[in-house]
Amino acid sequence: MAEKKGASSPIDRKEALERIGGDEAFLQELLIIYDEEFHEKYDELEKAVQEKDFQAIREAGHYLKGASANLSLPALREAAWKMEQAGQNQNLEAAREALSSLEKEYQRLKEFLRSGS
Amino acid sequence: MNKKRRPVASKPSGTTSKQSLGPILVAEDDRVTMNLLERKLSGWGYQVHRAEDGQQAWHFLKRPEIRIALLDWMMPGMEGPELCHKLRQSKKSHYTYLILLTSRDTSFDIIQGLEAGADDYMTKPINLLELRARLQTAHRIINLEDNLIKAKRRLSRLASTDSLTHAWNRRAIFGFLAEELSRFGREGRPFGLLMIDIDHFKEINDRYGHPAGDSVLKQLVTLVRSNLRNYDRVARYGGDELILLLPGSDKKATETIASRLLERVRQHRFKISRRISIQITISVGSTTVTSSHDMADNLVKAADRALYQAKKLGRDRMVMLDAAEKNKK
Repeated sequence: MAEKKGASSPIDRKEALERIGGDEAFLQELLIIYDEEFHEKYDELEKAVQEKDFQAIREAGHYLKGASANLSLPALREAAWKMEQAGQNQNLEAAREALSSLEKEYQRLKEFLRSGS
Repeated sequence: MNKKRRPVASKPSGTTSKQSLGPILVAEDDRVTMNLLERKLSGWGYQVHRAEDGQQAWHFLKRPEIRIALLDWMMPGMEGPELCHKLRQSKKSHYTYLILLTSRDTSFDIIQGLEAGADDYMTKPINLLELRARLQTAHRIINLEDNLIKAKRRLSRLASTDSLTHAWNRRAIFGFLAEELSRFGREGRPFGLLMIDIDHFKEINDRYGHPAGDSVLKQLVTLVRSNLRNYDRVARYGGDELILLLPGSDKKATETIASRLLERVRQHRFKISRRISIQITISVGSTTVTSSHDMADNLVKAADRALYQAKKLGRDRMVMLDAAEKNKK
């Protein structure tokens, strides 16, 4: 039952719940959708980075940023924001970095949720 | 953050019959946001239409029943501000309240969005309590707008109808006449014009009083209307004179309508009081458009002259004249 606190928590559950009116089951549903979306966008991003398609990088980054913000996933949002910026500034190196932090933060979220928060 | 907030519509998908707040459009390509919004909005009583790109959104926005829309700033196909701009340029009759959704740290220009025609904007992640409050504002604005339009319609109706009979007034019929004339010029569609006058109306007034005369006139308008097609126009020209505009009716059709009206009036019993009802007759002057040079004034004059002749020939009849015959005194 204890909420893990602190900046390092991959999800600010309290904030997310407050936003959706305290509906736990609904939050679970949204996280499942997020999961599907994340995979889809991550694949797109990998491809876009390979092809140096900065427009696609910016758009997918923007998309993930919004979705992450909605569910109060601050670290993922930060990584997605960096991705969007990388697309905008046409910075391939930054895009690669952002991609790996997206991957890392995603894993961290998965573990956090699995460990029964 | 310690404030305990009451959960907003935390009911699951069970669709209890809540008050209906009408349709709402959510245009958003992010599925998490979309699902979140859809769930909550339908819980509050909205009927949610989903659009995942700009084209779909535009398709819904055009529909008159969509009065509130949440538009994502960035969308494939067409972006939010572009949609706002496009909608404001269009001639949609009902006002649509537009709320743009933006990301917290997207460098965007609020002014640009509002100038494009948005009414409001919200930053994502969207706080649902705030959304609900903003939607209330939306409803308030829409109501104000609707009332204004209603008042405008009422005023323009008052300005173009006759207060006694609720038929069109003289000003209005000249407007319709001008429209029909230009249509005749464009498409050659004919129309007929009838001028109707109650025979011996003065005697009715003298004998039964003016309220009785008014009542006969009102009943005549009702009777005439019930024998016309719904696109024919009935106007009170003045006193006990009515003028009828019959779009699409050529000479023959106009004549047929005139004789039918004469017959119906003859057969009708006009109630004057609870016990008394009387029979009356009318005289009808008619004319039809024959040339694109015909003018509204000339047509009305022709019908008037025809009416005068009908009276002279003994009333309870129809006389037809062409506008062109006006010179053959």
